[in-house]
Amino acid sequence: MAGISIEKLCKTFGSVTAVRDLDLEIAETEFVSLLGPSGCGKTTTLRMLAGLDFPTSGTIRIGGRLVNDLPPGKRDIAMVFQSYALYPHMTVAENIAYPLRKRGVPRRERDVKVMEVARLLRLEELVERKPRHLSGGQQQRVALGRALVREPQVFLLDEPLSNLDAKLRAHMRAELIELHRRIGKTMVYVTHDQLEAMTMSDRIAILHGGLLQQFGTPADVYERPANVFVADFIGTPSMSLFEGTLHRGAGCLEARIGSLVIALPEDHVAWAGTSNTLAIRLGVRPEDIFLGDTGEPAVVKLVEPTGHENIVLLTVHGLVMTARLGADVRLRAGEAVRVGFRTPKIHIFDRDAGTRLNGDGPSRVTAFPGRQSIGQR
Amino acid sequence: MTSAVLGGAASVRPYSLQRHYALLGMLLIAPTILIFCAVIVYPLVTAIYLSLFSIYTPTLQGNWVGLANFRDMLGSGQFWGALWTNIVWTVGTLSLQLVFGIGTALLLNQNIWFRSLARSLILFPYFVSTVVAVLVWRWMFNDVYGILNHTLLAAHIVDMPIDWLGHMPNAMVSIIVIGAWKYFPFVVIAVLARLQTIPPQLYEAATIDGAGVWGRFWDVTLPQLRDVLVVIVLLRTIWDFKEFDLIYLLTGGGPVTSTQTLPILVYKQAFGLNAMGTASTYAIGMLLVLLSFMVLYLARVGRGKESA
Amino acid sequence: MRRREGKSIVATAAAWLVVLTTIFPLIWMAITSIKPQAELFRIPPAFLPESVTFEHFEELLENTPFLTYFGHSLVIATSTTVLVVVLGVLGAYSLVRFSYPGRERLAILVLFTYLLPSVVLVLPLYLLMVKVGLANTLMSLVVAYTTFSLPYALWLLRAFMAGTPEDLEWAALVDGASRLGAFVDIVLPQMLPGIISTAVFTFIVGWNEYFYALVLVNSDSARPLTTGVMNMLITSFNIEWSLLMAASVMMSLPLIVIFVFLQSYLTRGFAASGIKG
Repeated sequence: MAGISIEKLCKTFGSVTAVRDLDLEIAETEFVSLLGPSGCGKTTTLRMLAGLDFPTSGTIRIGGRLVNDLPPGKRDIAMVFQSYALYPHMTVAENIAYPLRKRGVPRRERDVKVMEVARLLRLEELVERKPRHLSGGQQQRVALGRALVREPQVFLLDEPLSNLDAKLRAHMRAELIELHRRIGKTMVYVTHDQLEAMTMSDRIAILHGGLLQQFGTPADVYERPANVFVADFIGTPSMSLFEGTLHRGAGCLEARIGSLVIALPEDHVAWAGTSNTLAIRLGVRPEDIFLGDTGEPAVVKLVEPTGHENIVLLTVHGLVMTARLGADVRLRAGEAVRVGFRTPKIHIFDRDAGTRLNGDGPSRVTAFPGRQSIGQR
Repeated sequence: MTSAVLGGAASVRPYSLQRHYALLGMLLIAPTILIFCAVIVYPLVTAIYLSLFSIYTPTLQGNWVGLANFRDMLGSGQFWGALWTNIVWTVGTLSLQLVFGIGTALLLNQNIWFRSLARSLILFPYFVSTVVAVLVWRWMFNDVYGILNHTLLAAHIVDMPIDWLGHMPNAMVSIIVIGAWKYFPFVVIAVLARLQTIPPQLYEAATIDGAGVWGRFWDVTLPQLRDVLVVIVLLRTIWDFKEFDLIYLLTGGGPVTSTQTLPILVYKQAFGLNAMGTASTYAIGMLLVLLSFMVLYLARVGRGKESA
Repeated sequence: MRRREGKSIVATAAAWLVVLTTIFPLIWMAITSIKPQAELFRIPPAFLPESVTFEHFEELLENTPFLTYFGHSLVIATSTTVLVVVLGVLGAYSLVRFSYPGRERLAILVLFTYLLPSVVLVLPLYLLMVKVGLANTLMSLVVAYTTFSLPYALWLLRAFMAGTPEDLEWAALVDGASRLGAFVDIVLPQMLPGIISTAVFTFIVGWNEYFYALVLVNSDSARPLTTGVMNMLITSFNIEWSLLMAASVMMSLPLIVIFVFLQSYLTRGFAASGIKG
């Protein structure tokens, strides 16, 4: 009932297009992240959901109700800002009570609810303090409290953890997941941090240049990236991507990148068209490269041990690729090894359009990145 | 991409909430705009209109004379003389303000005793009424009982009391110095505010590179101050140029017309000689001279806003 | 030198020499105002008064229209301040936080009028006052002072407004406030220091104004202190120095009060005015 439905949403600032033809269906109680590099349109989208920015065209429905012309306060939403936006001249209690006050909730009831929320977020001791006397983590909880107190149908969160230090951020991530599970409300979460998006979301909408690149579960976007942008953006370290060609032979496919040849099963790519050759980009995730006694000859360029694994840069047939190897693998720069690829996991994209060609069912591409974003590789 | 933009533009319709906000915004500024029109725009236009008339102040009866006033103005020594006096006054007092202002700011930026008290006391001349400032100075300038003449006589620097305001070049020097005294705190505060934002690492780096006190001033402080100094010079040029109170109250433009700047000329034309049309012409002439500085300042501030 | 620990004696001495020289005329004014008439005209003059007297102040308050002028100045400066700050706060809020056609141009126009010389506006304003029958009234000066105070206040408040975080206002909107509700609940409290600064500046400028008062008011029924004192105590024959110094001290009273209690607002206003744009 309180899902969000965005249709053909566009936003231009002067000559700059921030969001283009965005379609997004968010189910009730779902936790959805809007993920992308800065300037991708995610914050603008969130602000349009909140009613703080106005769509150039398109419609937004919250709980089935068209909200384009509703002021923010009437949309049954709450928002947590990156800066927390706590009112500096009000105490913690007054901050949390403000949304209730604006809705005419009587004082007695207000006080009860504020204390309830304060208890939930372990802020009881702090209710009389002013925001400037709180730590970053405490301020963040007050901001959450102000959003929680009026029990809205939808929560909008704009990079709420980005001002916290790494340790606190990990802790708050867990708290937010727990909170979402407990209150079961729709949450839209804007972030540029893929770790946050991957760990917290039911689904992730990846945006780039104002266009939706892919909308899917964390597993979807990781295992079946819809295009080269998503493939490159998701995963640390990044997928290694190479330009090459794909040839159809008798009963099998052959990917050729320079002198490197990788054989693939015939159904690996959903082949369209009559030509027997395709211009492609081929992608290999670091964990899909393994050492072996046979396989392609490779030279170790660089080893980055992280403690629990080794990130190894390898040169294979003159191509530089990143591999994720176990911590027990001892390699030195300059060492000659042999590597193999987990072929079922190899990603094939159309070289020009950037779209995924693997034959793993209907691709969830909803927009195309064009060439500009991937031209550098 | 192009088609998306065009498609978006074609279906633009201002949402009612957005329109509501825009209306509210205009409503809030509306009283200000009304007052602006009534007390600034209308008088400005009227001033230009008046400059085309010959008007007798007491009766306010006027005849259309077209551009004759402007022709007369450009042909008269009075306008050019006042303009020259105005330039001498502005350049003189502004130079002193800058030298003393920057010097004092540097001093007050040091780690000294009672620094904040010193910083606030230095502001007094700037905020004190020009009337008060002038009265005090005229009392100190008094030929018989004034402390200045007395001190100079007692120290045998002079053997006759000096007539500070009644003779040239004394009068011009006096107004320039008093103008500098009154307005240099503006430079002090503006420069001080900027000095406090210069990162100390710059000085440390310069010291490591072997710069002495002077080297640090020329190579670190001055370049850092450049932008704020440009703004100060533009603003103070405009304000000093249009100064009326200080000069009028000290010398009334005298002796004769030797300290008569354009604002005083305008006042005298309108209310001494009862020639309001001519006075308006001089006022417009003065505005045209100032306009170049105003445009420079506007461009400067406008540019700063873009980059911010 | 800059980074050296501890206070520098040389710099302290130099700085205080400059400061004391700068404010000497004002100290001299205060000293003169409490000297008996006889000491005033003694040669050589003594720096400190041998006996302190407040007779000049008594004389000023009892036998001259000083208090009337003082009242006029108070009414004019206060009315101007209230008018200008109310309009300025609303206007600045509009200029900073709303978008409508012509907004940027309006901001530049404000700055332009801030630089406009009074000499250009004074003659048409004089004619206007005569025409609408406001000549020689307190109101005429309030209107005239608005011509330079309003652009100034708008510019100052605009700088202050731009310095308060926008997110607070958005948060208030999401929390259910209307634009005006958010303005009252959130923006105004945030703006309070800026508003006080602006008010203090506007008041001082209005209190000190001389030129418009000279041109527009020609009667004791509306004369403020600045022109009143000059008119009352300076005749062609005689200048009442001790009374003038006492009047100068009295005229500076509001300023001294502001310096003692509102000093930080003065410095803050300075930083925001015009220099930073």
